[in-house]
Amino acid sequence: MTITISKSSHEKKVARFDNWWFLVIAVIALLLILIFLVPDPYQRIFVFVQNGIGTTISITGISFLLVLILGLLVALARLSKSWIIKGVSTVYVEVVRGIPMMVQLIFWYFAFPSVIQNVGKWLNIQAFIDYRANPVAMAILGLTIGYAAYMSEVYRAGIQSISRGQMEAARSLGMTYIQAMRYVILPQAIRVILPPVGNEFITLLKDSSLVSVVAVADMTRRGREFQAAHFLPIQTWVMIALLYLVMTLFATRVVAWMERKFKMEK
Amino acid sequence: MEPIIHIENIHKHFGTVHALRGVSLDVEKGEVVLIIGPSGSGKSTLLRCINRLEEFDAGRIVVDGIPLDTAENINAVRTEVGMVFQQFNLFPHLTVLDNITLAQKLIRKRSKIESEKIARQLLEKVGIPEKESYFPGQLSGGQQQRVAIARALAMNPKIMLFDEPTSALDPEMIQEVLDVMLNLAKEGMTMVVVSHEIGFAKAAADRVILMDGGQIIEMAPPEELFDHPKEERTKLFLSKVL
Repeated sequence: MTITISKSSHEKKVARFDNWWFLVIAVIALLLILIFLVPDPYQRIFVFVQNGIGTTISITGISFLLVLILGLLVALARLSKSWIIKGVSTVYVEVVRGIPMMVQLIFWYFAFPSVIQNVGKWLNIQAFIDYRANPVAMAILGLTIGYAAYMSEVYRAGIQSISRGQMEAARSLGMTYIQAMRYVILPQAIRVILPPVGNEFITLLKDSSLVSVVAVADMTRRGREFQAAHFLPIQTWVMIALLYLVMTLFATRVVAWMERKFKMEK
Repeated sequence: MEPIIHIENIHKHFGTVHALRGVSLDVEKGEVVLIIGPSGSGKSTLLRCINRLEEFDAGRIVVDGIPLDTAENINAVRTEVGMVFQQFNLFPHLTVLDNITLAQKLIRKRSKIESEKIARQLLEKVGIPEKESYFPGQLSGGQQQRVAIARALAMNPKIMLFDEPTSALDPEMIQEVLDVMLNLAKEGMTMVVVSHEIGFAKAAADRVILMDGGQIIEMAPPEELFDHPKEERTKLFLSKVL
Protein backbone atom coordinates (compact mmCIF):
# COMPACT_ATOMS: atom_id res chain seq x y z
CA MET A 1 0.00 0.00 0.00
CA THR A 2 2.55 2.55 1.08
CA ILE A 3 4.61 1.57 -1.92
CA THR A 4 1.99 2.59 -4.48
CA ILE A 5 1.18 5.84 -2.69
CA SER A 6 4.76 7.03 -2.50
CA LYS A 7 5.33 5.99 -6.11
CA SER A 8 2.64 8.33 -7.42
CA SER A 9 3.66 11.25 -5.22
CA HIS A 10 7.25 11.65 -6.41
CA GLU A 11 7.52 9.21 -9.20
CA LYS A 12 11.02 9.61 -10.55
CA LYS A 13 12.87 9.42 -7.26
CA VAL A 14 10.91 6.44 -6.01
CA ALA A 15 11.19 4.60 -9.31
CA ARG A 16 14.93 4.46 -8.66
CA PHE A 17 14.49 3.40 -5.06
CA ASP A 18 14.45 -0.37 -4.68
CA ASN A 19 11.11 -1.16 -3.03
CA TRP A 20 12.32 -4.53 -1.83
CA TRP A 21 14.23 -2.70 0.90
CA PHE A 22 10.85 -2.60 2.66
CA LEU A 23 11.04 -6.36 3.06
CA VAL A 24 14.42 -6.06 4.77
CA ILE A 25 13.03 -3.35 7.04
CA ALA A 26 9.96 -5.45 7.79
CA VAL A 27 12.03 -8.45 8.89
CA ILE A 28 14.29 -6.24 11.03
CA ALA A 29 11.19 -4.70 12.58
CA LEU A 30 9.79 -8.14 13.38
CA LEU A 31 13.07 -9.09 15.03
CA LEU A 32 13.10 -5.92 17.14
CA ILE A 33 9.48 -6.40 18.13
CA LEU A 34 10.18 -9.93 19.32
CA ILE A 35 13.32 -8.92 21.21
CA PHE A 36 11.84 -5.90 22.96
CA LEU A 37 8.17 -6.78 23.36
CA VAL A 38 8.66 -10.45 24.19
CA PRO A 39 12.06 -10.33 25.93
CA ASP A 40 11.39 -13.68 27.51
CA PRO A 41 12.53 -15.79 25.75
CA TYR A 42 13.54 -13.82 22.58
CA GLN A 43 15.93 -11.39 24.20
CA ARG A 44 17.53 -14.25 26.11
CA ILE A 45 17.99 -16.18 22.89
CA PHE A 46 19.40 -13.16 21.11
CA VAL A 47 21.91 -12.42 23.87
CA PHE A 48 22.93 -16.07 23.92
CA VAL A 49 23.56 -16.36 20.16
CA GLN A 50 25.02 -12.84 19.82
CA ASN A 51 28.67 -13.86 19.48
CA GLY A 52 27.58 -16.52 16.98
CA ILE A 53 26.34 -13.74 14.71
CA GLY A 54 29.82 -12.25 14.57
CA THR A 55 31.33 -15.66 13.91
CA THR A 56 28.93 -16.36 11.05
CA ILE A 57 29.59 -12.96 9.48
CA SER A 58 33.35 -13.12 9.78
CA ILE A 59 33.64 -16.72 8.56
CA THR A 60 31.42 -15.90 5.58
CA GLY A 61 33.26 -12.64 4.85
CA ILE A 62 36.80 -14.04 5.05
CA SER A 63 35.88 -17.18 3.11
CA PHE A 64 34.19 -15.13 0.41
CA LEU A 65 37.23 -12.88 -0.07
CA LEU A 66 39.45 -15.94 -0.41
CA VAL A 67 36.91 -17.56 -2.75
CA LEU A 68 37.00 -14.49 -4.99
CA ILE A 69 40.80 -14.75 -5.28
CA LEU A 70 41.15 -18.53 -5.55
CA GLY A 71 38.17 -18.76 -7.91
CA LEU A 72 39.77 -16.30 -10.31
CA LEU A 73 43.08 -18.17 -10.28
CA VAL A 74 41.31 -21.47 -10.95
CA ALA A 75 39.27 -19.91 -13.77
CA LEU A 76 42.43 -18.58 -15.42
CA ALA A 77 44.06 -21.98 -14.97
CA ARG A 78 41.12 -23.64 -16.70
CA LEU A 79 41.45 -21.22 -19.61
CA SER A 80 45.19 -21.86 -19.83
CA LYS A 81 46.73 -23.28 -22.99
CA SER A 82 48.92 -25.66 -20.98
CA TRP A 83 47.11 -29.01 -20.75
CA ILE A 84 48.72 -29.78 -17.36
CA ILE A 85 47.44 -26.59 -15.71
CA LYS A 86 44.10 -27.03 -17.41
CA GLY A 87 43.91 -30.70 -16.41
CA VAL A 88 44.79 -30.17 -12.75
CA SER A 89 42.33 -27.30 -12.35
CA THR A 90 39.56 -29.20 -14.11
CA VAL A 91 40.06 -32.25 -11.87
CA TYR A 92 39.95 -29.97 -8.81
CA VAL A 93 36.67 -28.40 -9.89
CA GLU A 94 35.05 -31.72 -10.77
CA VAL A 95 36.15 -33.49 -7.58
CA VAL A 96 35.16 -30.67 -5.24
CA ARG A 97 31.81 -30.14 -6.91
CA GLY A 98 31.06 -33.83 -6.60
CA ILE A 99 31.47 -34.04 -2.81
CA PRO A 100 28.87 -32.62 -0.39
CA MET A 101 30.02 -29.47 1.40
CA MET A 102 29.29 -31.07 4.77
CA VAL A 103 31.56 -34.04 4.00
CA GLN A 104 34.33 -31.68 2.88
CA LEU A 105 34.12 -29.68 6.10
CA ILE A 106 34.21 -32.82 8.20
CA PHE A 107 37.23 -34.03 6.23
CA TRP A 108 39.19 -30.82 6.81
CA TYR A 109 38.48 -30.73 10.53
CA PHE A 110 38.66 -34.39 11.52
CA ALA A 111 40.61 -36.22 8.83
CA PHE A 112 43.12 -33.66 7.59
CA PRO A 113 44.85 -33.17 11.01
CA SER A 114 45.23 -36.95 11.27
CA VAL A 115 46.85 -37.00 7.86
CA ILE A 116 49.33 -34.35 9.01
CA GLN A 117 50.04 -36.19 12.26
CA ASN A 118 50.63 -39.48 10.46
CA VAL A 119 52.95 -37.84 7.97
CA GLY A 120 54.75 -36.30 10.95
CA LYS A 121 55.22 -39.70 12.62
CA TRP A 122 56.39 -41.18 9.35
CA LEU A 123 58.93 -38.44 8.62
CA ASN A 124 59.60 -37.77 12.31
CA ILE A 125 58.69 -34.08 12.24
CA GLN A 126 57.64 -33.00 15.73
CA ALA A 127 55.70 -29.91 14.55
CA PHE A 128 53.48 -32.14 12.40
CA ILE A 129 52.92 -34.66 15.21
CA ASP A 130 51.82 -31.84 17.54
CA TYR A 131 49.49 -30.35 14.92
CA ARG A 132 46.00 -29.58 16.22
CA ALA A 133 43.29 -28.21 13.98
CA ASN A 134 41.84 -24.79 14.68
CA PRO A 135 38.10 -25.17 14.03
CA VAL A 136 37.59 -21.68 12.59
CA ALA A 137 40.65 -21.93 10.33
CA MET A 138 39.56 -25.36 9.07
CA ALA A 139 36.03 -24.11 8.48
CA ILE A 140 37.33 -21.20 6.41
CA LEU A 141 39.69 -23.51 4.52
CA GLY A 142 36.89 -25.97 3.76
CA LEU A 143 34.40 -23.34 2.64
CA THR A 144 37.05 -21.59 0.51
CA ILE A 145 38.18 -24.73 -1.28
CA GLY A 146 34.61 -25.89 -1.79
CA TYR A 147 33.20 -22.60 -3.03
CA ALA A 148 36.19 -21.57 -5.18
CA ALA A 149 35.30 -24.46 -7.48
CA TYR A 150 31.83 -23.02 -8.10
CA MET A 151 33.15 -19.47 -8.27
CA SER A 152 35.74 -20.43 -10.88
CA GLU A 153 32.92 -21.56 -13.16
CA VAL A 154 31.18 -18.21 -12.70
CA TYR A 155 34.37 -16.34 -13.59
CA ARG A 156 35.04 -18.63 -16.54
CA ALA A 157 31.60 -18.05 -18.01
CA GLY A 158 32.04 -14.30 -17.54
CA ILE A 159 35.45 -14.18 -19.17
CA GLN A 160 34.29 -16.33 -22.07
CA SER A 161 31.30 -14.07 -22.63
CA ILE A 162 33.64 -11.23 -23.66
CA SER A 163 34.31 -11.33 -27.38
CA ARG A 164 37.68 -12.65 -28.53
CA GLY A 165 38.27 -9.39 -30.36
CA GLN A 166 38.75 -7.59 -27.04
CA MET A 167 41.70 -9.76 -26.09
CA GLU A 168 43.10 -9.49 -29.61
CA ALA A 169 42.84 -5.71 -29.64
CA ALA A 170 44.56 -5.48 -26.26
CA ARG A 171 47.34 -7.87 -27.26
CA SER A 172 47.81 -6.13 -30.62
CA LEU A 173 48.56 -2.93 -28.68
CA GLY A 174 51.39 -4.78 -26.93
CA MET A 175 49.66 -5.54 -23.63
CA THR A 176 50.66 -8.74 -21.88
CA TYR A 177 48.01 -11.37 -21.16
CA ILE A 178 47.82 -10.22 -17.54
CA GLN A 179 47.48 -6.54 -18.48
CA ALA A 180 44.76 -7.39 -20.99
CA MET A 181 42.89 -9.39 -18.35
CA ARG A 182 43.30 -6.72 -15.70
CA TYR A 183 42.37 -3.65 -17.75
CA VAL A 184 40.19 -4.94 -20.58
CA ILE A 185 38.59 -8.33 -19.98
CA LEU A 186 37.85 -8.47 -16.24
CA PRO A 187 36.29 -4.98 -15.94
CA GLN A 188 33.81 -6.05 -18.60
CA ALA A 189 33.33 -9.55 -17.19
CA ILE A 190 32.47 -8.16 -13.73
CA ARG A 191 29.29 -6.61 -15.08
CA VAL A 192 28.25 -9.98 -16.45
CA ILE A 193 29.09 -12.04 -13.38
CA LEU A 194 27.86 -9.71 -10.66
CA PRO A 195 24.42 -11.41 -10.27
CA PRO A 196 25.80 -14.97 -10.05
CA VAL A 197 28.62 -13.80 -7.73
CA GLY A 198 26.02 -12.25 -5.45
CA ASN A 199 24.13 -15.50 -5.57
CA GLU A 200 27.25 -17.43 -4.54
CA PHE A 201 27.73 -15.07 -1.61
CA ILE A 202 24.21 -15.68 -0.33
CA THR A 203 24.55 -19.43 -0.75
CA LEU A 204 27.88 -19.30 1.10
CA LEU A 205 26.28 -17.32 3.91
CA LYS A 206 23.63 -19.98 4.33
CA ASP A 207 26.03 -22.89 3.94
CA SER A 208 28.25 -21.38 6.62
CA SER A 209 25.73 -22.92 9.04
CA LEU A 210 27.33 -26.26 8.16
CA VAL A 211 30.45 -25.27 10.11
CA SER A 212 28.41 -25.83 13.27
CA VAL A 213 29.21 -29.54 12.94
CA VAL A 214 32.96 -28.93 13.17
CA ALA A 215 33.04 -27.23 16.56
CA VAL A 216 32.67 -23.65 15.35
CA ALA A 217 30.34 -21.61 17.56
CA ASP A 218 28.42 -19.89 14.76
CA MET A 219 24.78 -18.80 14.93
CA THR A 220 23.44 -22.27 14.21
CA ARG A 221 25.60 -23.95 16.82
CA ARG A 222 24.72 -21.37 19.44
CA GLY A 223 21.06 -22.01 18.63
CA ARG A 224 21.52 -25.72 19.19
CA GLU A 225 23.26 -25.04 22.48
CA PHE A 226 20.44 -22.78 23.66
CA GLN A 227 17.85 -25.34 22.70
CA ALA A 228 19.73 -28.06 24.53
CA ALA A 229 19.86 -25.96 27.68
CA HIS A 230 16.36 -24.45 27.72
CA PHE A 231 14.29 -26.58 25.37
CA LEU A 232 12.44 -23.87 23.49
CA PRO A 233 12.74 -25.22 19.94
CA ILE A 234 10.09 -23.06 18.26
CA GLN A 235 11.31 -19.75 19.69
CA THR A 236 14.99 -20.62 19.21
CA TRP A 237 14.73 -21.56 15.56
CA VAL A 238 12.36 -18.74 14.66
CA MET A 239 14.99 -16.40 16.06
CA ILE A 240 17.88 -18.06 14.21
CA ALA A 241 15.91 -18.20 10.95
CA LEU A 242 15.03 -14.49 11.20
CA LEU A 243 18.67 -13.59 11.82
CA TYR A 244 19.78 -15.48 8.68
CA LEU A 245 16.91 -13.96 6.73
CA VAL A 246 17.93 -10.40 7.63
CA MET A 247 21.46 -11.08 6.42
CA THR A 248 20.51 -12.77 3.14
CA LEU A 249 17.80 -10.25 2.27
CA PHE A 250 20.19 -7.41 3.01
CA ALA A 251 22.90 -9.00 0.85
CA THR A 252 20.42 -9.48 -1.99
CA ARG A 253 19.55 -5.79 -1.94
CA VAL A 254 23.21 -4.75 -1.91
CA VAL A 255 23.88 -6.93 -4.95
CA ALA A 256 20.86 -5.49 -6.75
CA TRP A 257 22.11 -1.98 -5.94
CA MET A 258 25.58 -2.76 -7.31
CA GLU A 259 24.07 -4.16 -10.48
CA ARG A 260 22.09 -1.00 -11.08
CA LYS A 261 25.12 1.14 -10.37
CA PHE A 262 27.23 -0.71 -12.94
CA LYS A 263 24.47 -0.52 -15.51
CA MET A 264 24.14 3.24 -15.06
CA GLU A 265 27.87 3.76 -15.51
CA LYS A 266 27.68 1.99 -18.84
CA MET B 1 67.60 -1.97 -47.86
CA GLU B 2 66.10 -4.57 -45.55
CA PRO B 3 62.36 -4.97 -46.01
CA ILE B 4 60.45 -3.87 -42.91
CA ILE B 5 58.26 -6.97 -43.11
CA HIS B 6 59.85 -10.20 -44.27
CA ILE B 7 57.54 -13.20 -44.63
CA GLU B 8 59.15 -16.44 -45.66
CA ASN B 9 57.30 -19.57 -46.69
CA ILE B 10 54.51 -19.42 -44.08
CA HIS B 11 52.22 -22.41 -43.55
CA LYS B 12 49.15 -22.47 -41.38
CA HIS B 13 46.57 -25.17 -40.73
CA PHE B 14 43.17 -24.82 -39.10
CA GLY B 15 42.45 -28.44 -38.24
CA THR B 16 42.41 -30.13 -41.62
CA VAL B 17 42.21 -26.89 -43.60
CA HIS B 18 45.51 -25.75 -45.06
CA ALA B 19 44.88 -22.00 -44.73
CA LEU B 20 48.29 -20.69 -45.81
CA ARG B 21 50.37 -22.72 -48.24
CA GLY B 22 53.88 -21.36 -48.30
CA VAL B 23 53.31 -17.61 -48.54
CA SER B 24 56.34 -15.34 -48.93
CA LEU B 25 56.18 -11.57 -49.07
CA ASP B 26 58.48 -8.62 -48.48
CA VAL B 27 57.11 -5.17 -47.68
CA GLU B 28 59.41 -2.14 -47.91
CA LYS B 29 59.32 0.75 -45.49
CA GLY B 30 56.69 3.27 -46.52
CA GLU B 31 54.95 0.88 -48.86
CA VAL B 32 51.18 0.44 -48.99
CA VAL B 33 50.16 -3.10 -49.86
CA LEU B 34 46.56 -4.14 -50.43
CA ILE B 35 45.50 -7.77 -50.20
CA ILE B 36 42.33 -8.90 -51.95
CA GLY B 37 40.81 -12.30 -52.53
CA PRO B 38 37.70 -14.39 -51.98
CA SER B 39 36.63 -15.22 -48.44
CA GLY B 40 38.59 -18.13 -47.03
CA SER B 41 41.57 -17.30 -49.24
CA GLY B 42 43.81 -16.76 -46.22
CA LYS B 43 44.25 -12.99 -46.57
CA SER B 44 43.14 -12.12 -43.03
CA THR B 45 45.09 -15.06 -41.63
CA LEU B 46 48.24 -13.81 -43.35
CA LEU B 47 47.71 -10.33 -41.95
CA ARG B 48 47.14 -11.69 -38.44
CA CYS B 49 50.37 -13.70 -38.67
CA ILE B 50 52.36 -10.48 -39.04
CA ASN B 51 51.71 -9.51 -35.40
CA ARG B 52 51.33 -13.11 -34.35
CA LEU B 53 47.66 -12.91 -33.39
CA GLU B 54 47.64 -16.11 -35.40
CA GLU B 55 50.34 -18.69 -34.79
CA PHE B 56 51.85 -20.25 -37.89
CA ASP B 57 53.00 -23.83 -38.26
CA ALA B 58 56.07 -23.33 -40.44
CA GLY B 59 58.06 -20.50 -41.95
CA ARG B 60 59.58 -17.31 -40.66
CA ILE B 61 58.44 -13.73 -40.19
CA VAL B 62 60.81 -10.87 -39.35
CA VAL B 63 59.36 -7.45 -38.59
CA ASP B 64 61.72 -4.47 -38.45
CA GLY B 65 64.63 -6.82 -37.81
CA ILE B 66 62.85 -8.70 -34.99
CA PRO B 67 62.01 -12.36 -35.67
CA LEU B 68 58.62 -13.49 -34.36
CA ASP B 69 59.83 -16.27 -32.11
CA THR B 70 59.99 -15.66 -28.36
CA ALA B 71 57.14 -14.17 -26.34
CA GLU B 72 59.36 -11.15 -25.67
CA ASN B 73 59.99 -10.54 -29.36
CA ILE B 74 56.33 -10.99 -30.20
CA ASN B 75 55.40 -8.29 -27.70
CA ALA B 76 58.17 -6.05 -29.03
CA VAL B 77 56.79 -6.44 -32.56
CA ARG B 78 53.24 -5.77 -31.38
CA THR B 79 54.25 -2.43 -29.92
CA GLU B 80 55.65 -1.46 -33.34
CA VAL B 81 52.70 -2.75 -35.34
CA GLY B 82 49.27 -1.16 -35.07
CA MET B 83 46.19 -3.13 -36.00
CA VAL B 84 42.70 -2.09 -37.02
CA PHE B 85 39.94 -4.68 -36.98
CA GLN B 86 36.78 -5.18 -38.98
CA GLN B 87 34.67 -5.06 -35.78
CA PHE B 88 36.65 -2.08 -34.35
CA ASN B 89 37.14 -3.88 -31.01
CA LEU B 90 37.14 -0.69 -28.99
CA PHE B 91 37.00 -1.25 -25.24
CA PRO B 92 33.31 -0.61 -24.48
CA HIS B 93 33.82 0.10 -20.77
CA LEU B 94 36.25 2.97 -21.43
CA THR B 95 35.68 6.42 -22.88
CA VAL B 96 37.16 7.31 -26.25
CA LEU B 97 40.00 9.13 -24.51
CA ASP B 98 40.75 6.21 -22.18
CA ASN B 99 40.66 3.80 -25.11
CA ILE B 100 43.50 5.77 -26.67
CA THR B 101 45.53 6.40 -23.51
CA LEU B 102 45.37 2.95 -21.85
CA ALA B 103 48.14 1.21 -23.81
CA GLN B 104 50.23 4.40 -23.92
CA LYS B 105 50.29 4.49 -20.14
CA LEU B 106 50.82 0.75 -19.68
CA ILE B 107 53.37 0.06 -22.39
CA ARG B 108 54.92 3.35 -23.41
CA LYS B 109 54.94 4.43 -19.75
CA ARG B 110 53.68 7.89 -20.64
CA SER B 111 52.14 10.13 -18.00
CA LYS B 112 48.40 10.75 -17.95
CA ILE B 113 48.91 14.31 -19.18
CA GLU B 114 51.23 13.34 -21.99
CA SER B 115 49.13 10.43 -23.20
CA GLU B 116 45.97 12.55 -23.15
CA LYS B 117 47.72 15.24 -25.14
CA ILE B 118 48.71 12.71 -27.77
CA ALA B 119 45.21 11.22 -27.75
CA ARG B 120 43.63 14.64 -28.36
CA GLN B 121 46.03 15.37 -31.23
CA LEU B 122 45.10 12.06 -32.83
CA LEU B 123 41.37 12.61 -32.37
CA GLU B 124 41.89 15.93 -34.13
CA LYS B 125 43.69 14.13 -36.89
CA VAL B 126 40.92 11.57 -37.43
CA GLY B 127 38.34 14.35 -37.31
CA ILE B 128 36.38 13.70 -34.09
CA PRO B 129 37.98 15.86 -31.37
CA GLU B 130 34.58 16.52 -29.79
CA LYS B 131 33.94 12.86 -28.92
CA GLU B 132 36.67 12.26 -26.35
CA SER B 133 34.38 11.71 -23.39
CA TYR B 134 31.89 9.49 -25.23
CA PHE B 135 31.72 5.75 -24.83
CA PRO B 136 32.21 3.62 -27.96
CA GLY B 137 28.59 2.49 -27.89
CA GLN B 138 27.48 6.10 -28.38
CA LEU B 139 29.40 6.51 -31.65
CA SER B 140 28.58 5.54 -35.22
CA GLY B 141 30.54 2.74 -36.84
CA GLY B 142 32.66 5.14 -38.86
CA GLN B 143 33.49 7.16 -35.76
CA GLN B 144 34.36 4.01 -33.82
CA GLN B 145 36.70 2.86 -36.55
CA ARG B 146 38.43 6.24 -36.60
CA VAL B 147 38.91 6.02 -32.83
CA ALA B 148 40.35 2.54 -33.34
CA ILE B 149 42.83 3.97 -35.84
CA ALA B 150 43.75 6.74 -33.38
CA ARG B 151 44.21 4.13 -30.63
CA ALA B 152 46.65 2.19 -32.80
CA LEU B 153 48.52 5.33 -33.91
CA ALA B 154 48.98 6.47 -30.31
CA MET B 155 51.62 3.77 -29.91
CA ASN B 156 53.68 5.37 -32.71
CA PRO B 157 53.69 2.22 -34.81
CA LYS B 158 56.05 1.80 -37.74
CA ILE B 159 53.54 -0.42 -39.51
CA MET B 160 49.75 -0.39 -39.62
CA LEU B 161 47.70 -3.48 -40.41
CA PHE B 162 44.09 -3.08 -41.51
CA ASP B 163 41.83 -6.13 -41.45
CA GLU B 164 38.80 -5.28 -43.63
CA PRO B 165 38.43 -1.91 -41.89
CA THR B 166 35.35 -0.82 -43.83
CA SER B 167 33.48 -4.13 -44.21
CA ALA B 168 31.31 -3.64 -41.13
CA LEU B 169 30.41 -0.04 -41.98
CA ASP B 170 27.31 1.46 -43.54
CA PRO B 171 28.12 2.75 -47.04
CA GLU B 172 27.92 6.42 -46.08
CA MET B 173 30.60 5.95 -43.43
CA ILE B 174 33.18 4.16 -45.53
CA GLN B 175 34.67 7.29 -47.03
CA GLU B 176 35.43 8.98 -43.70
CA VAL B 177 37.53 5.98 -42.70
CA LEU B 178 39.20 5.71 -46.10
CA ASP B 179 40.11 9.41 -45.95
CA VAL B 180 41.97 8.85 -42.70
CA MET B 181 43.78 5.89 -44.27
CA LEU B 182 44.65 7.90 -47.38
CA ASN B 183 46.20 10.60 -45.23
CA LEU B 184 48.24 8.03 -43.38
CA ALA B 185 49.48 6.59 -46.65
CA LYS B 186 50.47 10.05 -47.82
CA GLU B 187 52.47 10.60 -44.66
CA GLY B 188 54.54 7.56 -45.56
CA MET B 189 53.14 4.99 -43.12
CA THR B 190 53.88 1.39 -44.01
CA MET B 191 50.48 -0.23 -44.42
CA VAL B 192 49.18 -3.70 -45.16
CA VAL B 193 45.47 -3.60 -45.86
CA VAL B 194 43.03 -6.43 -46.40
CA SER B 195 40.17 -4.77 -48.21
CA HIS B 196 38.15 -4.74 -51.40
CA GLU B 197 38.12 -0.96 -51.65
CA ILE B 198 39.37 -0.64 -55.22
CA GLY B 199 39.20 3.14 -55.08
CA PHE B 200 41.55 3.21 -52.10
CA ALA B 201 43.87 0.77 -53.85
CA LYS B 202 44.10 2.92 -56.95
CA ALA B 203 44.64 6.08 -54.94
CA ALA B 204 47.15 4.85 -52.39
CA ALA B 205 48.44 1.31 -52.90
CA ASP B 206 51.89 0.60 -54.27
CA ARG B 207 51.08 -3.04 -54.78
CA VAL B 208 47.97 -5.19 -54.84
CA ILE B 209 48.09 -8.87 -54.00
CA LEU B 210 45.45 -11.37 -54.99
CA MET B 211 45.25 -14.39 -52.71
CA ASP B 212 43.30 -17.58 -53.25
CA GLY B 213 43.49 -20.99 -51.62
CA GLY B 214 46.14 -19.87 -49.15
CA GLN B 215 48.56 -18.70 -51.82
CA ILE B 216 49.55 -15.47 -53.50
CA ILE B 217 48.20 -15.75 -57.03
CA GLU B 218 49.26 -12.43 -58.44
CA MET B 219 51.08 -9.33 -57.22
CA ALA B 220 51.31 -6.09 -59.19
CA PRO B 221 50.81 -2.31 -58.99
CA PRO B 222 47.08 -1.53 -58.81
CA GLU B 223 46.55 -0.21 -62.35
CA GLU B 224 48.29 -3.25 -63.77
CA LEU B 225 46.47 -5.80 -61.64
CA PHE B 226 43.03 -4.27 -62.04
CA ASP B 227 43.28 -3.33 -65.72
CA HIS B 228 45.54 -6.03 -67.13
CA PRO B 229 45.45 -9.07 -64.84
CA LYS B 230 47.61 -11.93 -66.01
CA GLU B 231 46.15 -14.85 -64.09
CA GLU B 232 42.79 -16.44 -64.92
CA ARG B 233 41.83 -16.58 -61.25
CA THR B 234 42.51 -12.86 -60.89
CA LYS B 235 40.28 -12.11 -63.86
CA LEU B 236 37.55 -14.34 -62.47
CA PHE B 237 37.70 -12.71 -59.03
CA LEU B 238 37.78 -9.16 -60.40
CA SER B 239 34.81 -9.86 -62.66
CA LYS B 240 32.81 -10.61 -59.52
CA VAL B 241 34.03 -7.69 -57.43
CA LEU B 242 34.29 -4.80 -59.88
